[in-house]
Amino acid sequence: MTSLAIDTIALTRQFGEFTAVKDVNLRVAAGQFFGFLGPNGAGKSTTIKMLTGLLAPTSGNIRILGEDLNEHPAEVKRQIGVVPEGMALFGRLTADEYLRFVGRMYGLDRATTLQRTRELLEFMQLAGEREKLITDFSHGMQKKLALAAAVIHGPRILFLDEPFEGVDAVAAGTLKAMLQRMIARGATVFLTSHVLEIVERLCTHVAIIHRGELVAQGSLEELRAGAGSGQTDSREGTAPSGREDRSLEEVFLEIVGADREGNPAATAPEQELSWLS
Amino acid sequence: MAELAARDTLSVSTRGIPAGTQLTAVAWLRWRMFVNNIFRRRPTGTHQAVGLAFAILLRLIVWPFLALMVVGPVAGSGFLAWIAIAEGHPQTLAPLLAGIVILWQFVSINGLNIAAAVSSFDPASLTRFPLRFGRYLVLRTLLGLLTSSTIVGCLALLAATVGISLAKPALALPAVIVLAVYALMNIFLTRMIGAWMERWLANRRFREIFGLLMALFAVGIQFLSFQRASMRIPGIPDNWFLRFFHGSGPYLHWLPPGFAANAILLAPQRPAVALAQFTGLLASTALFAAVFAIRLHKQFLGEHLSEGVSRRTPANTVTRGRALSRQADALATQARPLPSRAAFPPVVGACLRKEWLVLRGNGAQIIKMFTPLIFVVIFSSGGFGQHSTYLLPGAIAYVLFGLLAGLYNVFGADGLGVQLYLLAPIRMRDVILAKNLMSLGLIAVEAGLAWAAVAMLARNPIPLSLEISTALWAIFVIAMNLALGTLRSIQAPHRFVPGQERQRGTPTNRTSGLLIFLVLFGSMILQVPVVYLSHSFHEPWLTAWIFGFLAAAAIAADALLLRNVDHFILAHRDVFAEVLCKI
Repeated sequence: MTSLAIDTIALTRQFGEFTAVKDVNLRVAAGQFFGFLGPNGAGKSTTIKMLTGLLAPTSGNIRILGEDLNEHPAEVKRQIGVVPEGMALFGRLTADEYLRFVGRMYGLDRATTLQRTRELLEFMQLAGEREKLITDFSHGMQKKLALAAAVIHGPRILFLDEPFEGVDAVAAGTLKAMLQRMIARGATVFLTSHVLEIVERLCTHVAIIHRGELVAQGSLEELRAGAGSGQTDSREGTAPSGREDRSLEEVFLEIVGADREGNPAATAPEQELSWLS
Repeated sequence: MAELAARDTLSVSTRGIPAGTQLTAVAWLRWRMFVNNIFRRRPTGTHQAVGLAFAILLRLIVWPFLALMVVGPVAGSGFLAWIAIAEGHPQTLAPLLAGIVILWQFVSINGLNIAAAVSSFDPASLTRFPLRFGRYLVLRTLLGLLTSSTIVGCLALLAATVGISLAKPALALPAVIVLAVYALMNIFLTRMIGAWMERWLANRRFREIFGLLMALFAVGIQFLSFQRASMRIPGIPDNWFLRFFHGSGPYLHWLPPGFAANAILLAPQRPAVALAQFTGLLASTALFAAVFAIRLHKQFLGEHLSEGVSRRTPANTVTRGRALSRQADALATQARPLPSRAAFPPVVGACLRKEWLVLRGNGAQIIKMFTPLIFVVIFSSGGFGQHSTYLLPGAIAYVLFGLLAGLYNVFGADGLGVQLYLLAPIRMRDVILAKNLMSLGLIAVEAGLAWAAVAMLARNPIPLSLEISTALWAIFVIAMNLALGTLRSIQAPHRFVPGQERQRGTPTNRTSGLLIFLVLFGSMILQVPVVYLSHSFHEPWLTAWIFGFLAAAAIAADALLLRNVDHFILAHRDVFAEVLCKI
């Protein structure tokens, strides 16, 4: 039996009358590199916020590493690292100060915090910016710092919301290598990205959320074969032969694009914006 | 089996983090933020060294004013407490303590919050760390202790303790204990109000209503002061503050100020009753702490305050899409420039329209903008109405003081949107011209209304020479601030959200505030020798001539600056990118 790193049961979140996430049953095994996909406004960030304890679910249950998040939030938070949507940095600190603060908040002793801070700043190529305030960092530098802060305590699950957005190719390569080493050592990575090529290259398992509902979940191979759980009947029989060779982008578009006939944004380009040269 | 192993690992690895580690980490965080805020721009060059010296000078000028604002209530509390005991008016102790609560909460709600002003730290962001709720509660309670309201309130209570102890040494020990608990109660009351305000202020409509209520409250207090003569009661001093002192005592017996006062006063003779009163005070403290904790607990569990998400609608149909498409077409048609019939060039017109739409959608800002007019009416109809010589320039200066701030950071409210101005094929001169025209329009409307109010309500006629010289003085002040404001808007912009100054920063920084102060009040002080000279030479129009000359010079400076503003912005565009365009 494989242990579950993340297990949600009928996870739902409503904002007034709007249901952002509806009855989501996610199962992420420990050690998986898990991609969480969906169009803009599908409910990805809301789900991540709930999984990391930043947002209370309206109903449903979340278990992280077998612990109920609602009952043991502090224990769970100590086991996870998060790069949230807005990065949650303190602009008036330097990178060194910020990492030292985060390390202490996660209960690392002073010596370990200092050592890891030094190593992470070197690794992220931020060591030369010790005097600079975070608010003066570029977007990519802030992203790297947020990732450094998310891993300083050695989390067993890493939640990453668009981690490579704004990060240069060299740094992105370094970060990907770091994440894969974490996976090799048994950690779980839960990642959202709009860049499907990155997800396809890194992740072994994928879930797709659309309009708040989980519409597909499984390994990449299962999704390509159309066997991922959560897919509705409406999408059955649409795949041509040889579907195992399809790219993730094709799978994604097939799943979330199936009901876009009524959406004017999906109208053939030649029919719209005719004034564009 | 593997799951069991994972659980074992989790339970072993989550042994509690020592409270001291996390509390000292947060204290260290606040300290570093404070230090970095002061020394963000290090004086490495001559220019920066001058800037640092100026910043220090500015603080030296401003701090005594702030200190004076604090000295009044603190010394007053000590003196009144001493009077209450030494002169045999113990019944006034409860109203005094009630007054301290009101002062404490009023200062707190009005956002005179030093800690918030110097950093963008949101304590709610601590929920992402592995904190237990109890520790989070302690942190949230401690994090607000360096606010001006707490400092002023605690100092006032300390002064009251000294006053009571000096008047009657036997009351010293009960005063120390009771007023310490009273301070704690106030701290929890402030936190409780703050936490619930944060909850309510997340709603834009409530923010506007709250802004209106605060303005009405401030006006109401002034109105009461000016109406005191008509509310005279025989045997009671002719002052609403003293009337409150004499009249509110019986009602306060069942409230925390009464509990605290009685616990102190009755301690030597009737210790049992004093203890009961003290228990009442403790219960009040516990009640406020509990209500505060309930609110924080919801936040800790991940309550979502934003109103943005709830407004989203999933509707996405063909009909709606086509309707939107038609609207877009209509807007595109409207947006086509019609230079031959328009009052302004297309860019200026578009920017003016944008500024108007932003203003129109911000009720709180409009309310705040026109609140000074109410004070002008009150002042004019009160005792000041007899002194028309001072009333007109005073009223105009008062109205201008609030409005001029907007000239010093014209791009601050645009935030990231300022990139559009830099990217579009337009001249920044047109954008600044539009923004300045909007500001000047508002200033003209408000100053005009203030002028009309003074003219109607003043009891003596205002000499024509005074009207002309005041008008020219106002033009000089506005033009001067327009020039300085344009320079500062380009050199030192900073982001803020109009109408949400309490939460999202203020439109002006300290330097700009000082410049407004210097130009406005400096020019008013300049009137003294000018008026003296005009009296000496029996030339009533001399003031008008001098300010007319200054106004012309300031307008010329404005025109010159506007001509060269594109080059100036080009030279400072890095500031825009750094300050305004950062996500």
